[in-house]
Amino acid sequence: MSKLKYNHIEFMASIASRYLEDGKVVFAGTGIPMLAAALAKRIHSPNLVLIFEAGGVAPEASMLPLSVADSRTTYHATYCASMPAAFEMLQQGIASYAFLGGAQIDKYGNLNSTLIGDDYYHPKTRLPGSGGANEAASFAWQTFIIMNHNRNRFVEKPYYITTPGYLDGPGGRERAGLAPDAGPYMVFTELCVLDFEPLSKRMRLKSLLPGVTVEKVIQETGFELLFHENITTEKEPTEEELRVLREEVDPWRVVLSRGDAKEE
Amino acid sequence: MPIAFVHEVLRQGFRNLGMASGTRNLDGDFLLDNDRIVKLDIGYILGLEMLGIPLYARTLVQNKLKTGELKISEWTNGTMAWRHKAAAMGLPFLPVRSLAGTDSFKYSAAKQIECPFTGIKVVLVPAIFCDTCCIHVHRADKYGNCQIDGMLNEDYDKARSAKNLIITTEKIVDTKEIRKDGSKTVIPQFYVDAVVEVPNGAYPTNMPGLYYLDLDHLKAYAKAAGDRSGESLKKYYNDYVFGTKDFKEFMKKCGGKKRIEELRKIEHMEGRK
Repeated sequence: MSKLKYNHIEFMASIASRYLEDGKVVFAGTGIPMLAAALAKRIHSPNLVLIFEAGGVAPEASMLPLSVADSRTTYHATYCASMPAAFEMLQQGIASYAFLGGAQIDKYGNLNSTLIGDDYYHPKTRLPGSGGANEAASFAWQTFIIMNHNRNRFVEKPYYITTPGYLDGPGGRERAGLAPDAGPYMVFTELCVLDFEPLSKRMRLKSLLPGVTVEKVIQETGFELLFHENITTEKEPTEEELRVLREEVDPWRVVLSRGDAKEE
Repeated sequence: MPIAFVHEVLRQGFRNLGMASGTRNLDGDFLLDNDRIVKLDIGYILGLEMLGIPLYARTLVQNKLKTGELKISEWTNGTMAWRHKAAAMGLPFLPVRSLAGTDSFKYSAAKQIECPFTGIKVVLVPAIFCDTCCIHVHRADKYGNCQIDGMLNEDYDKARSAKNLIITTEKIVDTKEIRKDGSKTVIPQFYVDAVVEVPNGAYPTNMPGLYYLDLDHLKAYAKAAGDRSGESLKKYYNDYVFGTKDFKEFMKKCGGKKRIEELRKIEHMEGRK
């Protein structure tokens, strides 16, 4: 283990950033997705194009936007569009990646961000809802998802489906009227990285974070997982990744600090 | 909605309102905190993105959902943007390809049909015509020709789809200024019912190119909004809204010109790369 100290948000953002390929177009939500995209752009994917839902396209790398309509999403941007224009570009298939969070996920990558509780009209907890997540996951070719890993979040049946994954499995998206050949691609958690088995469209354990066991992942997952033949271990954040995250991307620690409380 | 506008809606005691939008955060939460909303057509509510969760308003919304005093129609940011766009185009609906297959489709008013030309399934979202829309712009003339710098978000279609359109503007300028570059005009005069000059009218939120959001103020609000008892919010609104006679007095309380100058520097990232 390295001697670098970091919290789980810094770790998740670092790992996720490594999967964002250079030259692709990414639509990122607020929070860790934006951290990861900003980090990728500064470290290894300088030609990553970011699209934000309020209309910002390809801003210069700057401090982390605090909202999807923050003027940092248009800082020296090459294009300032509008929200419908942003979603219309996505609807045409412009975005390689969407990058989202959520409150609950199932084995097909369907996301709930609307409510906790069995009855829509009597929610235990009412959550904010889709925002632009539904469009992002409906339209992007591949959707990255980032969320905390436990049995309340990784569930057999979400209370509500806000944002489509593969819906009820192979062919589900096409039957529902969504564009074919798109869907959830990878899930990043504080325990592991998961992807989706191409035929069954079911979530599959791909790699572990250092110190995490397969048993631990199973224990924290509320549905039956599939497993890659070779489950690898992710590399810890590098000094450079941590420096960029802390000094350049989120110097005010608006998002990074949310990982501090949980550390011992 | 510009914060200056929302303050005045609160002060003047408007209630039993419907609110229609994609994402609303601070502005929408102000109205929810004060129990002014009975109907929502919405994509995102009760969130302050990264700043936290407005627990008092959330409890209020949950309770009112139970009693039926609050009705929610579920949408997404895209489908709400297109509902406004349909109205702005003078059409009764638009076909789109999101929302399909989800519970939000069931709890919305959207319909799904087969496209008569291609046979693919499309979701139809109905046009929405708000009674009143208020938009804050960088500059407008006295006739209502409005120019906006930077991204447009939902402004273009919302302005065109509302029955009454109120413009708050950082500055009322001579029409000659507008004529210098008509391509910057986003809202032409015939949509506009009123123009009000309100410098810094978006504060403590962000006005692109002019001032960044005031993170300290927003954090203080988020902290108050996270107090379930409502006591902290009562103090916030008494201090900043009901205890001030207008937006000018509110701005003075928040540090006035000096604070705006600090936020201008942050907006342009002076001293930072």
